[in-house]
Amino acid sequence: MGRNRRPSKQMLTLLEALSGRTQAWRHGYDLMKETGLLSGTLYPLLMRMTDQGLVEAEWREPEQRGRPARHVYRLTATGIALARTVAPAQPVSSTNVVFA
Amino acid sequence: MTAAVSRAVMTLARRCLCGARDDWGMAMQAEFEAAVEDGKPFVFAVGCLIAAGRAMVGQREGRLAVTNYALALGLLLPIAALQFEQAIGLPVFTGSSLGGPHTGGEQNPYLAWSQNAATPILVSVWLLLGAAHLCLAWALVERDWPRVFDFGALIGAATIALSLFAGVLMLDLSPLVAQVAELGIELAAILAIVRLHAQASSEPLAG
Repeated sequence: MGRNRRPSKQMLTLLEALSGRTQAWRHGYDLMKETGLLSGTLYPLLMRMTDQGLVEAEWREPEQRGRPARHVYRLTATGIALARTVAPAQPVSSTNVVFA
Repeated sequence: MTAAVSRAVMTLARRCLCGARDDWGMAMQAEFEAAVEDGKPFVFAVGCLIAAGRAMVGQREGRLAVTNYALALGLLLPIAALQFEQAIGLPVFTGSSLGGPHTGGEQNPYLAWSQNAATPILVSVWLLLGAAHLCLAWALVERDWPRVFDFGALIGAATIALSLFAGVLMLDLSPLVAQVAELGIELAAILAIVRLHAQASSEPLAG
C-alpha cells in the first residue's frame, strides 16, 4: 500500500543522491551533507527505505583507529528501479545523477 | 558545554532506540563523531532524538514504552508527590485533617492522645507509600513485572494499614476516600498496561 504512494520530496532527494553512484556505499553524515536533509529526516527515511527493501545497510570498519564502526548505505536493485521510475517526473537538480 | 549536552541528547536517542532498532541507534552514534568533527553535534543529536522518538512511536514495542513513561510520569510521580505532601503536612494538620468526629477543626479532647501518638506511624506509612510509588514508577519504566507486582502489593498493604489506623484511631475515614480512589485508578491503569504487554509478547511482531 505505502509502496504504491508517490515518494515524498525528501525521499526523492535521497534517491537522487544514492542513485548518483549506485555501487558506492555512503555514510549517513555524507548523505546529510549532500542532500541537505537533517538527521531527524534522513534516519527515519533510511529506516523506512531499508524496511521496504529499497536501501541496504552494512557495517564498515572505521577509517580511523579508536572510532566506532559506521553504517553505510546504498540502493538495492529495487531501489535503483524505483529511482529510474521516479526520475523522469522530477526536475533533475543535481549534476551527478546517473541512473545506472 | 554544547558538546556535553549533545552527547547527552545522543545517549538519550540511543536509549530510545533500544530493542528492534538498536542497530540504527548504533549507526547514529557512530555518525555523531562525524558531526562533532563538522562542528554541528547539537543539531545532529537533536535530529537523532526526533528520529528515535518517531521510530519508537512507529513500533508497538516503542508505543508500549511511551505508555509506560506516560503512566509513570503522569500518574505515579504526582501520586508519590501527594503522599509526601500528606506526610509532611500531617503533624501540622493532625487535628483538622484526621481529627475524627469533630467540627470547626477542633481536636477531639478524648482522642487527642491517640491521634498524637499515631502521628509518627501515619507519617511513616505515608512516606512509605510515597517511596513505594517512586519505586513502582521505576519498575514500570524498566518493565520489571515481578517488582511492579511487589510494589503494587506493598502499596495495597500500606493503604489498608492506613485505613485501619484512620478508622480505629481517628474514627474518620473521610480523608482516605481520595486515597482509595487514587489507588483504584492507579491499579486499574497498571493492570491495563500489564495486559497490553502480555498481549504484545504473545502476538507475533508486527511494527
